[in-house]
Amino acid sequence: MKQVGMSVAATLWGLALAAAPGAANAADIVLGASVQLTGSLANTGRYYKDAYEFAIEKINAAGGVKVGGEQRKLALKMYDNQSDVNLSVRQYTQLVSQDKVDLLLGPFASNFALADSAVSEKYKIPMVQGGGASDQIFSRKFRYIFGTLAPASNYFGSTVTMLTKLSPAPKSVALLYADDAFDVSVADGTRPLLKAAGLTTAIDERYTSNASDFNSLLSRIRSANVDVVLVAGHETEILNFVRQAKSLSVAPKLYSFTVGVPSEDFRKALGKDADYAFGMTAWLPEPSLKDRWFGDAERFAQGYKAKFGYDPDYHAASGAADVEALAAAIESAGSAEPEKVRDALAKLKMPSLYGTLAFADNGQIDLPQVVIQVQGDDLAPVFGADGFIKKPKYPMPAWNAR
Amino acid sequence: MDLLAQVLVNGILLGGLYAIMAQGLALVWGVLNIVNLAHGAFIMLGAYLSWHLYQYLGIDPFLGLPITAVVMFAVGYAVQRGLLNLVVRAPMFNTLLMTFGLEVVLTYLAQFAFSADFRTINPPYAGSNVALGPVVVPMARLMAFGAALALSIGMWLFLLHSRLGRAIRATAQNLVAARLYGVEPRHLYAMTFGIGIGIAGAAGGLYGTISQINPYIGGALTAKSFAISIIGGLDNPLGVVVGGLILGIIESLALLYVGATFGDVASFGVLVAVLIARPNGLLGRTA
Repeated sequence: MKQVGMSVAATLWGLALAAAPGAANAADIVLGASVQLTGSLANTGRYYKDAYEFAIEKINAAGGVKVGGEQRKLALKMYDNQSDVNLSVRQYTQLVSQDKVDLLLGPFASNFALADSAVSEKYKIPMVQGGGASDQIFSRKFRYIFGTLAPASNYFGSTVTMLTKLSPAPKSVALLYADDAFDVSVADGTRPLLKAAGLTTAIDERYTSNASDFNSLLSRIRSANVDVVLVAGHETEILNFVRQAKSLSVAPKLYSFTVGVPSEDFRKALGKDADYAFGMTAWLPEPSLKDRWFGDAERFAQGYKAKFGYDPDYHAASGAADVEALAAAIESAGSAEPEKVRDALAKLKMPSLYGTLAFADNGQIDLPQVVIQVQGDDLAPVFGADGFIKKPKYPMPAWNAR
Repeated sequence: MDLLAQVLVNGILLGGLYAIMAQGLALVWGVLNIVNLAHGAFIMLGAYLSWHLYQYLGIDPFLGLPITAVVMFAVGYAVQRGLLNLVVRAPMFNTLLMTFGLEVVLTYLAQFAFSADFRTINPPYAGSNVALGPVVVPMARLMAFGAALALSIGMWLFLLHSRLGRAIRATAQNLVAARLYGVEPRHLYAMTFGIGIGIAGAAGGLYGTISQINPYIGGALTAKSFAISIIGGLDNPLGVVVGGLILGIIESLALLYVGATFGDVASFGVLVAVLIARPNGLLGRTA
């Protein structure tokens, strides 16, 4: 009788185990994230979803992470924040308070990371995020936020250095930026750089996020006849900006954009009109970037393209690096306990497909931005920390002379 | 001075596009008393349709406008007949709820079907322009402006002189009397909604030619169309044109002289001013 009771209990126990969601076995280390899968930012949000899943799959295929002598798998608990900041904050609160995830991965975009990092700080659970670059995120002395995007204030840093080395030398600049956390940080960081480089800022204008009409600004740019236009904004705005520049025949000697240029679908949407546009990236899929799980950055990019059908850009590499940073920190801490992982993250220094992962005291990574330019069908790296890589196409010809 | 002239031209051309986007919303609102919150989503669908016609069949977006309009008319007719007629007599809150739900469904279906990638309709002439002295007039915007004006005038003549147009106006003015004269409201409502959505679809094609398309453009377009309808009034398609032009010009001037973050402040400021001074719209009947 006793034996029957035991076996029934064992069966029930087995059933209970089987009924538990497969993604979150008791032994799995669960990473929580809220990402823009739908809504106006879904277009970039998908890089993070795909990168998180790809990296976790790869790490698990290699046996998972080694914690105190046993191999544990990683699992992902992800919500769709519908491109809504308030919803994102609620979802992170739910992830830590109800779902009891072990550690956090970030959302896309600075204003999201800015709000969501308050949750990780409050619950003392480290968040490694690769979607928010604004300096504001890291200026609040938060202990639990780590970021793998290079500081927004320096996005145009390498571009401005390049401007001083071009001939004919550009003299005047128009600086346009959207009114959100990331773009305001970019503008604040760029102004002193322009001044130090001896360039005149002829137009310095903030515009509304999601603006679709740039005709007034473009007319001013033409009227002031500026040499260089720097735009810090979102992809939709920059698409409209370039199309309207063409339709008004506004062709400065050079224009550069904080986002869009590295992304395949942006270049596709503009077609030939994307030519000559400058941008920047802190990451290029080069075989010299060795990686423990993927081999190197080039192989990461190939595997990513094969799996998801589109090329990864720095957002995707940054997202994959976030998972790797957490995995490495768990191993060196020998535990998935938030406090221990946090301390391990602060000390982390490892090569990865994204570059060397190491965080400054404020929690942010520091990577140089490589200036890139659309040259015909190619996306060419033109200027890096060591000077020119490939000759930039400069000055940009008039629209009717292309 | 050149700058002012340029910005005025920009504003007028923008206003023409605004007018055509709002035309369908104003018609449906005026006749059916439905504030169609899914209006922008239908513009978005029309834009995708034009994009597909151009991308896969090589049909020029302007030549494709009639196709887009006819297909979207059919969609609109079906939506009204099968869905909105069920609640058209119910309190306005119900139709708001229904069209809001429709907006959400259409938006997410669009992401499902077309992904969140940006699209542009980019015929060779999309970026070309003509120079009038120091003022540059973008070709695609000029053509869109012409198409918008033609459609608005066409709609005005249609409402004024055709049998169906008269029936639509009669229904808007007095439903009971119209029924006594043999108007069958279910069919007429569906025709009206179909026409509104057909024009919205055509506006989507124009929008895609000068801007960009993604599943989420609808919400902002609905808001803009709403403001234009109120400014112009619901009685007359030409009022909507005036509303669109005023909004386009004021926005462009505000962006130039006040600051690039003040476009929406200016347009909704005008909206409030019109609501206070002429609640039936600038060209509307005075109360």
